[in-house]
Amino acid sequence: MAIAKAERLMNLALCLMNTRRPLSKRELRDSIEAYREASASGSEDAFNRMFERDKDDLRELGLVIDIDESALDGEAGYVARRDRNRLPEIALDAEEAAALSLAARVWQQARLAGAASGALQKLRAAGVPFEEAADREHTALEPRILAREAAFEPLLAAARDRRPVAFDYRKAGAVDPEQRTVEPWALECWHGHWYVAGWDRDRKDVRVFRLSRITGRVRARAGRFTAEVPDHVDVRETVARFAGEGATAAARIRLRRGAAFPLRAKALSVEPVDADWDELEVPHGHGLGAWLAEFGADVVVLGPDDLRADVVDRLRAVAGLAPAGPAAGTADAPAAGTADAPAPGTARGASAPETAPQGAQR
Amino acid sequence: MSNAIDQTRRMLSLVTYLRERPGARVGEVARAFGVTEQELVADLNVLPMCGTSFRGGDLLDIDTDGERIWWHNADDVAQPLRLAADEATALLVAARAVAALPGLRERDRQALTRAVAKIEFAAGESAQGSARVGVTFEAEGHVFADVDRALSERRRLWLRYYSYGRGGMTEREVDPIRLVTEGHTYLEAWCRVSEGRRMFRLDRVADIRVLDTPADPPPLEVRDLSDGLVHPDADDPEVVLEVGPAGRWVTEYYTHDEAVELPDGGLRITLRTPEPAGLRRLALRLGRDGRIAAPADLAAQARAAALEALAAYGADGSVQGTAGS
Repeated sequence: MAIAKAERLMNLALCLMNTRRPLSKRELRDSIEAYREASASGSEDAFNRMFERDKDDLRELGLVIDIDESALDGEAGYVARRDRNRLPEIALDAEEAAALSLAARVWQQARLAGAASGALQKLRAAGVPFEEAADREHTALEPRILAREAAFEPLLAAARDRRPVAFDYRKAGAVDPEQRTVEPWALECWHGHWYVAGWDRDRKDVRVFRLSRITGRVRARAGRFTAEVPDHVDVRETVARFAGEGATAAARIRLRRGAAFPLRAKALSVEPVDADWDELEVPHGHGLGAWLAEFGADVVVLGPDDLRADVVDRLRAVAGLAPAGPAAGTADAPAAGTADAPAPGTARGASAPETAPQGAQR
Repeated sequence: MSNAIDQTRRMLSLVTYLRERPGARVGEVARAFGVTEQELVADLNVLPMCGTSFRGGDLLDIDTDGERIWWHNADDVAQPLRLAADEATALLVAARAVAALPGLRERDRQALTRAVAKIEFAAGESAQGSARVGVTFEAEGHVFADVDRALSERRRLWLRYYSYGRGGMTEREVDPIRLVTEGHTYLEAWCRVSEGRRMFRLDRVADIRVLDTPADPPPLEVRDLSDGLVHPDADDPEVVLEVGPAGRWVTEYYTHDEAVELPDGGLRITLRTPEPAGLRRLALRLGRDGRIAAPADLAAQARAAALEALAAYGADGSVQGTAGS
């Protein structure tokens, strides 16, 4: 029976950590039963591939493996030096440990959930007092980070290793996806949705992509990044702006009293008009027209004109009427824009990576 | 059973842990490592096959009688290992996100912030990648703080709450169960009015009061949230929406049973909801980007709501002089 992979990895790790001099591949093969079996039953090639994969896996687990190319009469030698692999002294008090173990449970995504609990295991093995904090009273809170998008894991690895990727991307409102080649810089989760910012090689500019709009697989591209990675990438600001936040302009509406609480909660000013209606100033950010239309007859848009035309156009569409006049339908038409948003500072009116955050049900 | 990577990771820490604790109890070790006793015993069956040399017989002499664990030749191979890049990222990103949550108790926030600084230092260069991942949790700080207090003091809450489905305000008393944050923050509570378990999004709470009445929810099992926060009932009415390419986002915001691709790049979405009126409002929002395909009476309601709203505007789209007054 083939020897389980975990046993093989564990043996390789112990050999590499326990040696004072670099070990050659041949020595490792002779020491580890799984490798001897693989060499005996398969080819030298099969063993080599297995060995390379195992080394990569151990590196993923944090092991620093040094390769000395000519350690052994021209043969490469491998060693995991103790000083380079030791966790520095770390002292967490019970309160800090409790806070950290709450944070470690946050990930609902398999790979990072595994990584987070692996980190806790290492800290626990190093003497951090996790269990003693159980009786302490703390916030009855369950924060959860989901990442159901298939693109999440490959993009995370590509951003970490600075490798370019290609993927098919369906812009908001586009009928067909289009291939994009991107150097991914940073990932951001906002309102529960994941975005990636990076250098778009075809557009030769910074772009933000929503992971849920990536169709098919994320494919690795050969070579390294070509554009310089900025020190600070603010995905959050870009995404929030296209979700209608941080608006500097204002719109004027009439709102039926008692209706549309979320809209009222965002109001800049509220003036009573009569017994039933108030006049409000609300931030005029991206996507406001769609949001206002949602409240039907409880909202009357006073201005600006293009916002009112947009709302009227949406209502006419639902009522089964033709677009009204030449003025209608020109404002804030998200379907016409590009789905990927330029990063802050390079904005030029492209449309949102998302068009429906405000008030959307979850 | 976890995969080989997670098992290897765990076994590497396990040897360090066991070295310091001769005769450790199986149950306690399993709890400490977040695995079942069966999983731990599986690890303990692998470890005696591991060592520095198969031929020399230099294997880990670890065994268990099912209750305690002994390592007879413990040596210094078992040093605490540095954090991997993914491990540091997973821990730091989550900890920073929680620490930034509005309404979190100051004491918890400070403990987390201190822990983050220590982990950053201990992780060294492994911590660098964590700056490339950010997570924002939203919460209404004052509402959050009141809910948190009610939870810890086991008291009932009074809410004035905006019901998205009905589009209006409701007042109710609820017994809080827990706070869940997934992008937005939600209060899971037992609603005394509907006598059911409900999720309340904190940014839709217009008013909140912690009552003197003790909370008294019926005995409830902890609900598994892995399929999403909202679970429509099987007997909730079914609604079919047809959206164009610009309306595809609906599937990401509404729990649905099915989304079938349409030839024009759009989707036919089937979902169930206890409050179909909420979908009438969705139809208004979608405008030309989607419509209610079924049931017919809900589609007619959406049409009527649009016509009613249009009455405030003239044929040229201008606001009628007396509109809204």
